[in-house]
Amino acid sequence: MAEQRKAPREAWGSKLGVILAVAGSAVGLGNFLRFPVQAAKNGGGAFMIPYFISFLLLGLPLMWVEWTTGRFGGGFERSTAPGIFETVWQKNRFIKYFGVIGIFGPTIIYVYYTYIESWLLGYSVFAITGQYASCTDQASMAAFLQGYQGLVPNEHFSSVSTAYFYFLITFALNILVVWIGLRGGIERVCKVGLLVLFVFAVAILIRVVTLGAPDPAKPEWSVSNGFGFLWNPRWSELKQARVWLAAAGQIFFTLSVGFGVILTYASYLRRQDDVALSGLTASTANEVAEVILGGSIVIPAAFVFFGPQGTTEIAEGGAFNLGFVTMPLVLQQVAFGKFFAFAWFFLLFLAGITSSISLALPAVVFLQDEFNLDRKTASIIFAVVTFNLCQVVIFFNGQGALDEMDFWGGTFCVVVFAMIEVILFAWVFGMDKAWSELHSGSDIRIPGVYRFIIKYVTPVFLALILGFWFVQEGWPTLLLARTPTEKVPFVIATRVLMVDLFAGLAFLVWLAWRKRSAKEGTP
Amino acid sequence: MTLAGWVFLVASWGGILGLCVFCVRRTLRKKP
Repeated sequence: MAEQRKAPREAWGSKLGVILAVAGSAVGLGNFLRFPVQAAKNGGGAFMIPYFISFLLLGLPLMWVEWTTGRFGGGFERSTAPGIFETVWQKNRFIKYFGVIGIFGPTIIYVYYTYIESWLLGYSVFAITGQYASCTDQASMAAFLQGYQGLVPNEHFSSVSTAYFYFLITFALNILVVWIGLRGGIERVCKVGLLVLFVFAVAILIRVVTLGAPDPAKPEWSVSNGFGFLWNPRWSELKQARVWLAAAGQIFFTLSVGFGVILTYASYLRRQDDVALSGLTASTANEVAEVILGGSIVIPAAFVFFGPQGTTEIAEGGAFNLGFVTMPLVLQQVAFGKFFAFAWFFLLFLAGITSSISLALPAVVFLQDEFNLDRKTASIIFAVVTFNLCQVVIFFNGQGALDEMDFWGGTFCVVVFAMIEVILFAWVFGMDKAWSELHSGSDIRIPGVYRFIIKYVTPVFLALILGFWFVQEGWPTLLLARTPTEKVPFVIATRVLMVDLFAGLAFLVWLAWRKRSAKEGTP
Repeated sequence: MTLAGWVFLVASWGGILGLCVFCVRRTLRKKP
């Protein structure tokens, strides 16, 4: 039986509000930086074939699984994975501990994501004040970024203090939004944030497509050929497993499935609220931001100023290089460059904050749900713990702490958690019951073939991703095979911290259940 | 950009925008 609560349960203000909150969680830096790099590196237009197949077989089914499971658990006043998993598999005493991953993963991602997000706030200000205006090539702009991060003191920054200042503002903003609550905080920020983000992205897109070929001596360095760099299909690459893996990985990470965040968001829906259309709408909004906006900005813009060779090198340099080094250089060379540079960094900041507030929610709601704390107290506890963990990321950034957290929290846990969710949904809950639950209050009818896809195809697809990933990345990373010797102590220390956090959360789950059992008089 | 590149771009954008229009119309439609 559900426990008596001190305060009435929170609820979303509108259907559009929850859709935009989930879309805001999904639309992040990856849409604008990771997707174009992945597409350009993995077959161009041909990349879209495995990408859309993954969307249909992996992304959408997992989206529906999370929305449905979350709403089901919410019916029992449970809003985070440990409690929700138990409502799905009531006979299993251990399933709640698997749910810990759904709190641990987003908390770890939150820790490093807010720091990266704060760089974007800092760069938004620098764009207006012209602080990096003296950097006119890739090397000097990269040095500016390294100075800002406190990695190499230089003429721009003598320490990490400026970055720390923007981190404090960003961290406080995130906690404030979560503190205010679901309707007044998260829902409002996502509505306004996504609107401004789309307006800025469309403005930059229009600026990019009207660039033409700015260098008369190089007419082939044109926007049209820049789009060609991304979209011309290279069929032969489809034969390579890495291209399919990259596409599946991109779909998986872009939709924010497997984090535990959508479970929590959906738990605040009412039983008669639709989840089928809402899940589809949130996924589609993310695809608009990724394929249409994200695919039309950085690569074409880099191409017209750096040409095919330069763009290839930039894409090889990774997403951060593209966002923080290449784009400010490109936007320095266009009319109203200061405005467009501000728009670029601020839209990424908005994409970041709509995601990071969602990452904070599972841990905060867990404290509220299971320990009967009010939102403000739960937010303060979360803030104290994550603020301390953030110090590790900030001060040991160059020592591999951030990468290590990203690897375990942002990759491994996410895939494992999604696997648990889909097995619980299709095999434990049972496909007949799950299908009926998915269609309860639904505004659309999902094609029947998805019964088969959710039960068989999605779990196999996930197992393949996990298997390939473990062989290629997981095992060497676990054994520190690719970690430089001088970074090993820092990486091990980061792992110890993460294990401590996981163990602490598992203990809290044990404690909460013990308390609950004592209250209900069950052994 | 090659013709095949344009085909991929138009098909991808068209598919996503088509789905977007479908979702928005259904979402805004009031239940009886």
